[in-house]
Amino acid sequence: MLKYLIHRVLVMIPTLLAISLIVFVIIQLPPGDYLTSYINELQSQGEAVDEAKIAFLREQYGLDKPWWQQYLVWVTGMVQGDFGFSFEHNRPVSEVVGDRLWLSVIVSVATILFTWIVAFPIGVYSATHQYSWGDYGLSFIGFLGLATPNFLLALVLLYLANRWFGTSIGGLMDDHFIGKPWSWGKFVSVIEHLWVPVVVIGTSGTAGMIRRLRANLLDELQRQYVVTGRAKGLPSGKLLVKYPLRMALNPFIADIGNLLPQVISGAVIVSVVLSLPTTGPMLLRALQSQDMYLAGSFLMFLSFLTVIGVFISDILLALLDPRIRLGGGTSR
Amino acid sequence: MKPRAAFRSVLFATALAAGLPAVAAAQTIVPIGPPSLEERVAKGELPAIAERLPLVPRRVVVDRPGMHGGTLRMVFGRSKDTRIMVVYGYARLVTYDTAFNIRPDILESVEIDRDRVFTLRLRPNHRWSDGQPFTSEDFRYWWDNIANQKMLSPLGPPQVLVVRGETARFEVIDERTVRYSWSAPNPYFLPELASATPLYIYRPAHYLKQFHAKYADPEELAEKVKDSGRRNWAALHNRQDNQYKNDNPDLPTLQPWVLQTHPPAQRFVFVRNPYFHRIDQQGRQLPYADTVSMKVAAAGVIPLKTGAGESDLQARGIAFNNYTFLKEAEKRENYKVRLWQTARGAHLALFPNLNVNDPVWRKLMNDVAFRRALSLAVDRHEINQVIYYGLALEGQNTVLPQSPLYRAEYRNAWAKFDLAQANVILDRLGLTKRDSRGVRLLPDGRPMEIIVETAGEDTEQTDVLELIHDSWLAAGIKLFTRPSQREVFRNRIFAGETLVSIWSGHENGLPNAETIPDEFAPTSQLQLQWPKWGQYYQTGGRAGTAPDDPHAEELLNLNREWVNANTREERETIWHRMLQINARQVYSIGLIAGVPQPIVVNRALRNVPDKAIFNWDPGAQFGIYMPDTFWFDDACRRRPGPVRDGKAEC
Amino acid sequence: MTAPDGNRLEHWASDEPFDPRVAEALTPEQERIYMASQWRMMWIRFRKHKLAVWSGTLLALVYLSILISEFIAPYNMHSRHTDQIYAPPQSVHFFHEGSFVGPFTYGFDYKLNMENLKREYTENRNQVNRLRFFCLGDSYRFWGMAEMRFHFVCPPENGTFFLLGTDRLGRDMFSRIVMGTRISLTVGLIGISISFALGMFFGGLAGYYGGWVDNLTQRTIEVIRSFPELPLWMALSAALPVTWSPILIYFGITVILGLLDWTGLARAVRSKLLAVREEDFVAAARLMGARPKRIIWRHMMPSFMSHLIASATLSIPGMILGETALSFLGLGLRPPITSWGVLLAEAQNINVVALYPWLMLPVVPVIVVILAFNFLGDGLRDAADPYK
Repeated sequence: MLKYLIHRVLVMIPTLLAISLIVFVIIQLPPGDYLTSYINELQSQGEAVDEAKIAFLREQYGLDKPWWQQYLVWVTGMVQGDFGFSFEHNRPVSEVVGDRLWLSVIVSVATILFTWIVAFPIGVYSATHQYSWGDYGLSFIGFLGLATPNFLLALVLLYLANRWFGTSIGGLMDDHFIGKPWSWGKFVSVIEHLWVPVVVIGTSGTAGMIRRLRANLLDELQRQYVVTGRAKGLPSGKLLVKYPLRMALNPFIADIGNLLPQVISGAVIVSVVLSLPTTGPMLLRALQSQDMYLAGSFLMFLSFLTVIGVFISDILLALLDPRIRLGGGTSR
Repeated sequence: MKPRAAFRSVLFATALAAGLPAVAAAQTIVPIGPPSLEERVAKGELPAIAERLPLVPRRVVVDRPGMHGGTLRMVFGRSKDTRIMVVYGYARLVTYDTAFNIRPDILESVEIDRDRVFTLRLRPNHRWSDGQPFTSEDFRYWWDNIANQKMLSPLGPPQVLVVRGETARFEVIDERTVRYSWSAPNPYFLPELASATPLYIYRPAHYLKQFHAKYADPEELAEKVKDSGRRNWAALHNRQDNQYKNDNPDLPTLQPWVLQTHPPAQRFVFVRNPYFHRIDQQGRQLPYADTVSMKVAAAGVIPLKTGAGESDLQARGIAFNNYTFLKEAEKRENYKVRLWQTARGAHLALFPNLNVNDPVWRKLMNDVAFRRALSLAVDRHEINQVIYYGLALEGQNTVLPQSPLYRAEYRNAWAKFDLAQANVILDRLGLTKRDSRGVRLLPDGRPMEIIVETAGEDTEQTDVLELIHDSWLAAGIKLFTRPSQREVFRNRIFAGETLVSIWSGHENGLPNAETIPDEFAPTSQLQLQWPKWGQYYQTGGRAGTAPDDPHAEELLNLNREWVNANTREERETIWHRMLQINARQVYSIGLIAGVPQPIVVNRALRNVPDKAIFNWDPGAQFGIYMPDTFWFDDACRRRPGPVRDGKAEC
Repeated sequence: MTAPDGNRLEHWASDEPFDPRVAEALTPEQERIYMASQWRMMWIRFRKHKLAVWSGTLLALVYLSILISEFIAPYNMHSRHTDQIYAPPQSVHFFHEGSFVGPFTYGFDYKLNMENLKREYTENRNQVNRLRFFCLGDSYRFWGMAEMRFHFVCPPENGTFFLLGTDRLGRDMFSRIVMGTRISLTVGLIGISISFALGMFFGGLAGYYGGWVDNLTQRTIEVIRSFPELPLWMALSAALPVTWSPILIYFGITVILGLLDWTGLARAVRSKLLAVREEDFVAAARLMGARPKRIIWRHMMPSFMSHLIASATLSIPGMILGETALSFLGLGLRPPITSWGVLLAEAQNINVVALYPWLMLPVVPVIVVILAFNFLGDGLRDAADPYK
């Protein structure tokens, strides 16, 4: 087991390095740099910007170095916890990002929990009552969630939540709780605001999970040992739980690897629509204004989250399924 | 492009005269401090109100004197918008009043000698928001240690303070008097001080000295520089010294509300400035509202939040096309929607790029007949009906009817929808050949396809262009829309790659004879119809190209003449000549103007004008209406929900 | 064998020539199944999955309709009606005051409410406007070539036919949705071709050669899979120069969508290749001297081509949703190109949700097409391995 763990950790490192390189290249793709945007901003406020000042600013911001040098600076800085400088906000990236990373994690985790909680009973029901109306109906609803573009759903739900329940628009909690320490009221307020993004993001992942659980459970239910158990007189419920369900749980855990990127992507666009204080809106803004370090840091963070998630899922799977840790790898 | 507004040499007499009754009045009125600060005064943390106000505070006469208290909630699109509180607070050395005349505000008085020598007098005992005195030292600190310091200002003092190559002569007369002088008139000085994004010629010296190499202890300064992650002390000093950006809670200010929350945040709270220098006619120290809460939300969500009643005073982020939604929501919520006038010369205008690189197109663009044909082929009435419910004003990009310089012929020049004449003009230009689609051909055989570039920020512009596309096609010109991004959009125009662009028209559509007319001459690169000529002027000939159009040259000459003119009549004549030239030459094709701006106001908020002009400069959007005089009526305090009947008028 | 009396025993074997079909006669039914080719068997299995069959038919119809979009739409994509801005959907009636008139719409009156600047439309039951079929209506250029005016259904002479209402410029939503089908559906197809090609190439390499090629490919796939899709799409789209023409941007978007999607396919190809590599028929081919390229393409691939097709089909919905998401964010297609994503982006504001909800109707074809692809893909996947 330990060997497997070490192996996975070692594999993660070059992966992260490769990701950082790709992210950096992508960030540099748009022509121009932050300085061009900044100059335009100054001009839009009526200040004439001189060539000398531009050169001065370029040197100050370090934008005159070759790209590979900028990359090295960035990567080495990241390892030390310095994520670079956000030109737009005129402060270090770590200050700008603040709470957003945490809130992103919270939203993602909540969504995955929601997906599990909803998919599990529905998947089990569908598998055990195959071809029934319930099966078709629930699957259909799951599919519907998969097919609806979530930004539209987010806006509609937001509006309805405001009209019907009086939930305040945007943000993850009521205004007067911002910046205050945690209390029951704050917690309730967060839950009140959290359900819209979680439902919207979770619906697409739920359908996939239901299908997978159903398929796997169906496979298991046809195995010999189930038939034997039934012949021996085990009650259905116990029979279901004791063995097939455990086997069917595998894809649940394994799927975090698939689910996490999807959830994070969904979270980005939904939080843009709903104006949540998570990474999404800031990432979009950073990409639009070519605030290189900020955008790069966000992309790194999101990828890192995914890599960690996959790592955790691999560990959990290894714990769950001895075949994996003996075989040394998964074949998803 | 910043507009210049009125200034009079008569201001000298007026200012002094305004000072006298103010002094007299102040002596008879007992100042009333806000109750929210009473506790701190009692504990001895704050001096009493009489010591907090300047000896001669600025007395503001309001429609309905109000009560202290309450929180003003607003919603903005970016956390950078803390700067908007400086715009709304609008405490300036001199300000515009609601008639767009310049009056002293922070200053007690201004003496002007032939527009060349400005003597500024501060109010005695005027203090910064942290209680330290505001004196001429703050002006001297800026002049000696910032404006003329090589590291902080590598290019020297701001251009506004340089007249014909001559930098201002700065003198400190005494503790509360400073003087700026030039040998030639400087009409830009006062308008710049009164602008929404003002020229700051003073600083909180006592605070900034700790970041300046000349005054701070070198070791302490080095430590601070290291802590902040900046490259050197100059960068740190610049960072802390950001009066306009308003993102440093520690920076003392003279504005009515002081930032309390450290960025970055989703919600910024501003608390009242205990030393603010204005009082109402009954002696209450302004502002009335104790706090301002500024929430940051994505731009698309602002109309939603406003419609849900989460804002007490909202203008930014809501546009005319949100009016219906807000009006419907008004019935359920606690606010009312008003429509204020905008003051732009044109809400939207097309700008043919006279400096475009392509030689064939450049020849056409520089031909006034072609521009006139383009203008005639636009159906402004349809645009008005379809997009603005017929409520906008059709016409060219020129002054609005409310301006004293207005003449109907300026607005109507070449603005009638006349396809027949447009076709005749184009035929006469020799563009008679057409291709299979009916699109005319250029002299070199290419089809006349005009790509109009937009900054891609809203669908309104794309919609307008869609309407224009059809009428231009009837004249044989194919229009393509290319949405872009603001930075790229501007750069392409500056570089001469864009053919035609669409943007808003003249910033100040309500000038009078005393307003500087440079918007109507090629004086800035930001004028999208002649970016290179404008750049030439702006950089003093170092970049750009000189105008080769005789009328454009004449505009520049007229602009210069205006600066040197002595009488009001002369100035007015010059204005009319410039307006005439612009109308005849159709340098920009105005579409519609006067599109109303919805303003959402909490039902309980008083002193907000019903009808007013909403403009950035001059006007500072809400600034000239002084939000520090807005107050919540206790009789119908803001309640979370619809207002019930039976209460006093709400 | 010889009997005790020395005579030869009677033998019961027939001395007629051996005819295998006599020994084991197949009924026609059995013959069909046993002798069927692989593709035929897949078809039989597929047919059992009713939902998939219907989905497939629906999709085929929709794709065919792309060829004649202009013909189906009652109006031209750009035709505007200044007097009918934000008009609500009109229902088609057949009976007017009890008597059968044929399909028609009522006219409506327009009033601008000056109080809240809302356009109010009231149905005018006196105006009966009959729809015309196979008629001449708005002109359009058929496939950019000939100018035609022939439509399947046209609005009545003096009336309007806004089946799904109009938008803020008075353009018919139904026509716009129909015209948008072209872009939305083909984006997915082109994207999937790119990712298909990439997936097969890399997966084939990794699966066949194994060793370090395999390792490298695996690592690359892992790296790419670690990226959350949307932010990467956003970043890449932000890199597309805004000065490109809409068509170029369209192709750029499809390339971007395809670039990130091939990993799943590559993985599947690789694992299938690894499994199939050990099969006998591959060994036989190798022994017979076939080159690797021929082995991969002629022998190995066809055995799991069906799986690939199923996977590809299941990826298309992701691309369609991706295009809508990018257009919504302003990073994908933009007007004047019309796609469902662009239409939804235009509907993405509070005015629409609160006041003009019919502008959100483009979401219906999106959902329907995505569901159809999902069911079709499911059916294909079930049918993909007929020998199971």
